Amino acid sequence: MSASMVIRLVLKDWYLSRGLFVAAILAGLATLGAVAAAKGAMLAMILGVIVLVTILIGMGAFLMSSTVNERKQQTLPFVMSLPISYLEYTTSKLVGSLFIFGVLWLALLLGIVVTILITPWFPHGLIPFVVVMAVEVLATTSLIAAVSVTTESQGWVIGITQVGSLALNAVGFSIVRLDGIRDTMSGPDVHFSSTAITILLVEFAVIALMLAIAFYVQSRKRDFV
Amino acid sequence: MYTQYIEMNSSIVISQSDGRPMYLQIMEQIKRKVAVGEWTAGEEIPSIRMLAVSLRVSVITVKRAYLELEREGVILTQHGKGSIVAYDPRLAPRLIDGELQEHLEQVARIGMAVGLTTEDLVERLRDAEARLHADALVKEI
Amino acid sequence: MNDLAVKFAGVGKRYPHYTLNDIDFELPTGSIMGFVGANGAGKSTTIRIMMGLVHQDSGSVEVLGHSMPAQQAEAKLDIGFVSEDMRLYGPATIAWHMNFIQSIYPRWDQPYAETLLRRFDLRPEQKIKGLSHGQRVKSALLLALARRPRLLVLDEPTTGLDPVARREVLAELMAVLADEERTIFFSSQNTLDVEQISDQITFIDRGRIIDSADKEIFLDRWRRLRLVVPPNTALPQFPGIVEVGGSSRLPVLTISRFDPAMVAACQEAGVAVQAVDPMTLEEIFIVNVQIRREGVVA
Repeated sequence: MSASMVIRLVLKDWYLSRGLFVAAILAGLATLGAVAAAKGAMLAMILGVIVLVTILIGMGAFLMSSTVNERKQQTLPFVMSLPISYLEYTTSKLVGSLFIFGVLWLALLLGIVVTILITPWFPHGLIPFVVVMAVEVLATTSLIAAVSVTTESQGWVIGITQVGSLALNAVGFSIVRLDGIRDTMSGPDVHFSSTAITILLVEFAVIALMLAIAFYVQSRKRDFV
Repeated sequence: MYTQYIEMNSSIVISQSDGRPMYLQIMEQIKRKVAVGEWTAGEEIPSIRMLAVSLRVSVITVKRAYLELEREGVILTQHGKGSIVAYDPRLAPRLIDGELQEHLEQVARIGMAVGLTTEDLVERLRDAEARLHADALVKEI
Repeated sequence: MNDLAVKFAGVGKRYPHYTLNDIDFELPTGSIMGFVGANGAGKSTTIRIMMGLVHQDSGSVEVLGHSMPAQQAEAKLDIGFVSEDMRLYGPATIAWHMNFIQSIYPRWDQPYAETLLRRFDLRPEQKIKGLSHGQRVKSALLLALARRPRLLVLDEPTTGLDPVARREVLAELMAVLADEERTIFFSSQNTLDVEQISDQITFIDRGRIIDSADKEIFLDRWRRLRLVVPPNTALPQFPGIVEVGGSSRLPVLTISRFDPAMVAACQEAGVAVQAVDPMTLEEIFIVNVQIRREGVVA
């Protein structure tokens, strides 16, 4: 496995999506700024969260669609004519795209955490919940990535993005009701309860599982164009 | 290192609309060059590959032309060193003579097919010569 | 150093709608092979198998000594591939693509790339999405040629190009062959181009190789005999007569294994030979396909 080729492929994908990426970061930071300036108004906070999650999911779907786009725009033969194996291609799309997304994700997560910490209107107890939900978004995006790479179909990606968004909402609502989360949310301390930690571990396991399944499915394929 | 693609002007021109096989066209043009003295005895001629590249014709076609030319004694291919025109002082006149022979056979063939006698053909030859002389005179005036 | 650049042995591939069967051919290093077939005959599939992009169901494929598709990453380091359905990245420029390729392949020849830009009349700052079809094809060819790969695999490299562009591309392809360590495999519907520059020719029809030989052998073996048959004289029989056309008095025999002795045999049988015409590659290919589809036409 040639790491340098995988990196070149990922850099290529980043180059082709750089415009939207920068726009997403700017939009995200602007939203955070607006939420911070609203001085803790509940509505502003909720709207802000919705916008941020939309940006993330939207950007995630776009980045993960790069596989679908290679096929749609017929650039797949060009990529496959490069000195790479199918494993390297899959890795660049699965791991590489998630990595690019991860940069955006981390930037916005840090932005939210910093906003909570430095403004007086948000209880710091929100942070564990925010982290749990952020990792949930990451898990949803991993699912979109896995589906995109294995099906190479626009229809499937659109479908799973919508399902994933709905699931995200549903999960969000259920988690908020959990004892280990709800009781620390409004507190002034950052406290990761065992419930929160368990949920995080489960989420990361799910991400790892989805990637593993995607790699496995790809390895069974015999035809690449 | 890589051989550079050199723009070679071998001044041989292949016509796609000419119905005859390409290797024959190449042979004919090379023989003509030798016949008129453009390529002289012992002179180096383009290698098979270089000629193929400059004519945009497959190597195998040029190879065949060279093989036939070698068989006819027009050129010599030295293994690993390229090809040269054969060292034969009588080569040029021999080639010219060969071409003449071909034309004569063609005339004979058509004559037979159309039913002309040898005397008819000789008559036509005299007419043709006379016409050429007349043309030449007109040009001088 | 391998003397076979490409070797296909017993290669087969099943698809729901058609099958590739028993594909056998060899391409020696330093030659150029033209691959001729109708649309849907299996040219593109064969080429994709050659590049390791499609895994054959049976048979072995060796390209530049590498077994495909297992060793495709190593093989592709030395292969330049351009296919008609290939696209470059629209929002990026030609220059970006050149840099991208240069960063991957050590043998990139920048001076040659610049020469090609001039010859193909392309400007590096142009975005791919603004290019015409012909310019896109030439860009893709430039990227493949400037790397000086040992093997060029081209799927319809001149299709859709104007005559001037076609001539330039053919000239560059022939220039590649000035180096006898480099090989070209190309498929084309343009039988004139194939006839002119190929050393070997392979015909494919409906998923099968129907013939594969030196070009000169093809052109030598096939002839059309125009005969004048007097009344009450039988038509001579030869092995290898694949088609009899024309009229009963003026038949035209298409022969797949011509021998000059046949002319003498005709004349002995009292049949006049009006002409012995060579056939173009296109005519040979069409007859080949027709006899497979309809049986020998009497």
